[in-house]
Amino acid sequence: MSTTPETLPPLARRSDAAYLDFVEGLREFILGKGADFEERLNSALEQSASSRGRPWGDVEEIREFVHASPLGRLRDRLARSQQEMKWHAIERSFDEQRAQLTAELSKWDERGPGRLLLDPAFEHPTYTNVHFHLQPAGYYKDELSGFLYHYGTKVFFRGDNDKDELHAKLVGTVPAPSDGKVNRILDLACSIGQSSTAFHRRYPEAEVWGIDHSAPMLRVAHRRAAMQGDAVNFAQRLVERTGFPDAHFDVTFAFILFHELPLRIIHETVREAARVTRRGGIFAIYDFTGTEGKSPYQRYHRWFDARHNGEPYSQDFCDCHLGDILVANGFEVAAAPLAKRAGGTGYMQHWFATRV
Amino acid sequence: MSDRTQTPEGGTPIVGDDPVYLQDPIQDATVRMLLELAAQVWVERERRLTLEALLESKGIVAHDEIERHVSDAVLTSRLKDERARFLEDVFKELRRVPLNHKFV
Repeated sequence: MSTTPETLPPLARRSDAAYLDFVEGLREFILGKGADFEERLNSALEQSASSRGRPWGDVEEIREFVHASPLGRLRDRLARSQQEMKWHAIERSFDEQRAQLTAELSKWDERGPGRLLLDPAFEHPTYTNVHFHLQPAGYYKDELSGFLYHYGTKVFFRGDNDKDELHAKLVGTVPAPSDGKVNRILDLACSIGQSSTAFHRRYPEAEVWGIDHSAPMLRVAHRRAAMQGDAVNFAQRLVERTGFPDAHFDVTFAFILFHELPLRIIHETVREAARVTRRGGIFAIYDFTGTEGKSPYQRYHRWFDARHNGEPYSQDFCDCHLGDILVANGFEVAAAPLAKRAGGTGYMQHWFATRV
Repeated sequence: MSDRTQTPEGGTPIVGDDPVYLQDPIQDATVRMLLELAAQVWVERERRLTLEALLESKGIVAHDEIERHVSDAVLTSRLKDERARFLEDVFKELRRVPLNHKFV
């Protein structure tokens, strides 16, 4: 039996938990083999291209095909609805407990072992004001945004990350620098700190910093780490302007950050990562795969995610050739394996970049 | 009420609130209500199964006693309140059906 304390606060009612359990199952059914939308739509798209004797052109062509199909329209309705149902239930349940939850956060703000550095004068750039994944009020405008995010991602991962297993696994795949020296680690856009604490557990002697622009996320991250006894420091910073000294970190990490940045900030963030990562240090990134090699359905999914699921920057990210940007900023990049699915490459990949 | 404004910098334009995916908004509302109803059915079933298991394990109530039970005034009133909450959950979608829509 795990001795890790439960850091996710309980929902207001048993019925809320059962409702979200239903939504988790519905999500699995819609996105997986239950409804089988992906395979059926992709097959139809492939057959259509074969019949016409030419591959699909831009995503607008694919969109028209999908939207001419009742199956396609219903898939979209269900995909959007499961997100809306999830957030409605989570927001209502935590809102019922607002006073208790804000008091709970305040109780942990000053406790160790790690530090929590919030900037009362912090100004959010306008690009951060997006309700990613349709999360109500986005990542920072509600003092409970961190708790909402935690429960929202629990449902998103369909039970595969209830004990932060995914974060532990991903952190475990990050290669150490060739000289083996890992004294300082930076977790960019750490949100609620699941990767940050995983790094602390992998390198208990290292100084770990998690940064994010969202104070509500950082307060939850700090509470999580403190409850678990993990000595991780959290600071309210921008990823494109971290405030750390040059060559300060041995490992810099970014988990599903870049697809939520506009192109301009992607470039600035890679420049900043190059600045704060020492020679020989590792910049490890885990994010969406690029557009090349995608099946027609996967291209449609990317468009839908961008327009209908609060991921406005994701298409530009998938088109940006991140590997080339890393090389242009002083990194050597190791190729990362891609998982195959539905006729194309998988949706996620690693970049392991060494600062040269 | 949460702040609903968004200010993305470039990228793909975000669809507004209450997008219509099916042939018309009535169909969209119908599907949303159906999903909500399915969720509510699961919520009730989960609670009922849990409760019955607890009661039987403690030797308090046998299954057929539940089958035969008649509610008193207190329970009747509480059920009425819960029914209102249930109806709000399932049918709130009707408030989102717009007055006007261009049918294609």
